[in-house]
Amino acid sequence: MSIGNWDLQTMWIKYLITILLFYFFALLQSSFFIYFNVFGAVPNLIFVLYFTVIFFDKKNNYYGAIFYAMLAGLFLDIFSTYKIGLSIVLLVIIGILIKKIQSSLSETKDDYSFAHFAILFFASFLIYHLSLKACLYFLNPNFIALTLNFKFLAELMYSLFFGAVGFYICKNLLKLDKNNKQNKFF
Amino acid sequence: MSFTGLEFTNKKRRGWLKILLGLAILLGLVFALSVFSSQIKNSFFTLSSPLQKNFLDAGKSSGNWLGSLLSATSLQRENEDLKKENQKLLSKISTLQSIQEGNQALSTISATCQNQNFSTVMAGVTGLAGNEDILTINKGSDDGIKEGMPVIDQYNVLYGKILKVYKNFSQIMLISNKNSIINVQTQQNNAEIATGIDNATEAEPAKTKTETNSTINGIVKGSGGLSIYLDLVPVDDQINSGEILITSSLEQTFPKNILVGKIAEIQKNDQKPFQQAKIDPFFNLDNIENLFVITNYKNEKSQ
Repeated sequence: MSIGNWDLQTMWIKYLITILLFYFFALLQSSFFIYFNVFGAVPNLIFVLYFTVIFFDKKNNYYGAIFYAMLAGLFLDIFSTYKIGLSIVLLVIIGILIKKIQSSLSETKDDYSFAHFAILFFASFLIYHLSLKACLYFLNPNFIALTLNFKFLAELMYSLFFGAVGFYICKNLLKLDKNNKQNKFF
Repeated sequence: MSFTGLEFTNKKRRGWLKILLGLAILLGLVFALSVFSSQIKNSFFTLSSPLQKNFLDAGKSSGNWLGSLLSATSLQRENEDLKKENQKLLSKISTLQSIQEGNQALSTISATCQNQNFSTVMAGVTGLAGNEDILTINKGSDDGIKEGMPVIDQYNVLYGKILKVYKNFSQIMLISNKNSIINVQTQQNNAEIATGIDNATEAEPAKTKTETNSTINGIVKGSGGLSIYLDLVPVDDQINSGEILITSSLEQTFPKNILVGKIAEIQKNDQKPFQQAKIDPFFNLDNIENLFVITNYKNEKSQ
C-alpha cells in the first residue's frame, strides 16, 4: 500500500515538476532568449522539452504523450497570435506517432542513441511547423506565407542544440536511476 | 475457442470505444480552450508579466555582457577608429569655418569692389614679422600676384602693398612699415563740421549743417611697431581728432577712398610749418584670416 501511495505521490510530483518546467521554459523562450537570437530565431524550448520528455518516457505510454502534448501545445498557443488549440492537436498527433515509431522499432542495446533522437526530433519539428503553417494558411490564406526560410533552419538548429543538451542530461539521469534501482534490488 | 474469440472482439471494441471517447474529450477540451482563448491568454500574461519582465531584464543584461565580451576587440578597434574620425572631423570643421569666413569676406569685398571694378585675389595670412611690419600671405606669382599691388581686407581697409613675390607666397609691407608713405585726405563728413551754433547771433549766424569743410591732405608714414602717423599737414589747416583718413587721389600706389585710420592725437606747433597727428590705424592683425590683393589697379597717371 505504502509503495502504491509512494508511486502515486512520485507521479504527481513528476507531473507538477513537468508543468513548472514547461512554464519556466515558456518564459525563457519568450523573454530571455530574444536577446540571444540567431538570425532572428530563438530556440523552441517548449518543443524541445516536450520531445525530450516523450522520447525518454515509456514506449507504450500514450496517455503520457497526450498529457505532455496538451501541456506543450497550451504554452505554445498562449505565446502565439492564433487561438489556443491548434498546437495541442498537432502535438498530440505527433506524440502518438512518436510512440508508435518507438514501439515498432526492435529492441536494441542502446535505445537512446543520439542519432535516433536527432532524426526523430528533426522529423517531428519539421512536421509540426509544416502542419501548423498549413492549418494557418487554410484558416487565413492572406495571413501566413507557406514558406521555409533561413530563419526556420536557424530555429531548427538552435532548438536541436538545446535538444542535444537535454538528451544528454536525461540520459545521465536515467543511468543514475538505473544504478540506484539495481543497488536497491541487490 | 469461440468464447476466446468473443473476448478478443469485445476487447477490441472496448479499445476503439476508449479511443473515440478520448478523442471526443480531447476535441471538446480544445474547443473550450479556443472559445476562451483570449481570456486564458489575458490571465496568463497578467499573472506572468512580473516574471516575464525579470526574464527580459536578465536577458538584456546578459546579452549586453556577452556582446561586449565577444566584441571586445572590435570595440577597441571601433574606439580607435572613432577617435581618428573625430580628429579628422575637428580638423574639417576648422577648415570649413575658415572657408566660411573666407566666403563671407568674399561676399563683402565683392560688394565693395563692385563699384570700383576691382579684381581681387583672396589670400590667407600665414605669418607676421612684427619687428619689420611685414606680413606673409599664401599666394604668389602662380596666382597672378605682382610687386606693388595694393592689399586690403573685405571692409576696404588698407593694409599695405606687395613687397616681394615668390612662386606660392608673397610678403606685404604694411602701412606701418618705416618705409611706407601714403597720400591721404580726411574723409568728407557733413555732420561733424557744423560750427558756431551755440554762439550764433544775428550778426554772426552759425554755419549751416549742410556746409562741408574742405578736405585736408597729408601723408601717413609708418613708424614701425604697427603704428602710423599723419604728417605734412599745413599748420593752418584745421584737423580734428576722430576724423577719418582715406587714401587720396594723389596716391599713386593705392586706389583712392581706401580706409587708412582715424586721427587720434594732434601734435601742433606754431613754430613749425606742418602739424602731425597720431593715427589709430584701421588695420587689425588680431583676427585677420584673409586679405585681398587688388590685381587690376593701374594708376592713370602712371600709365
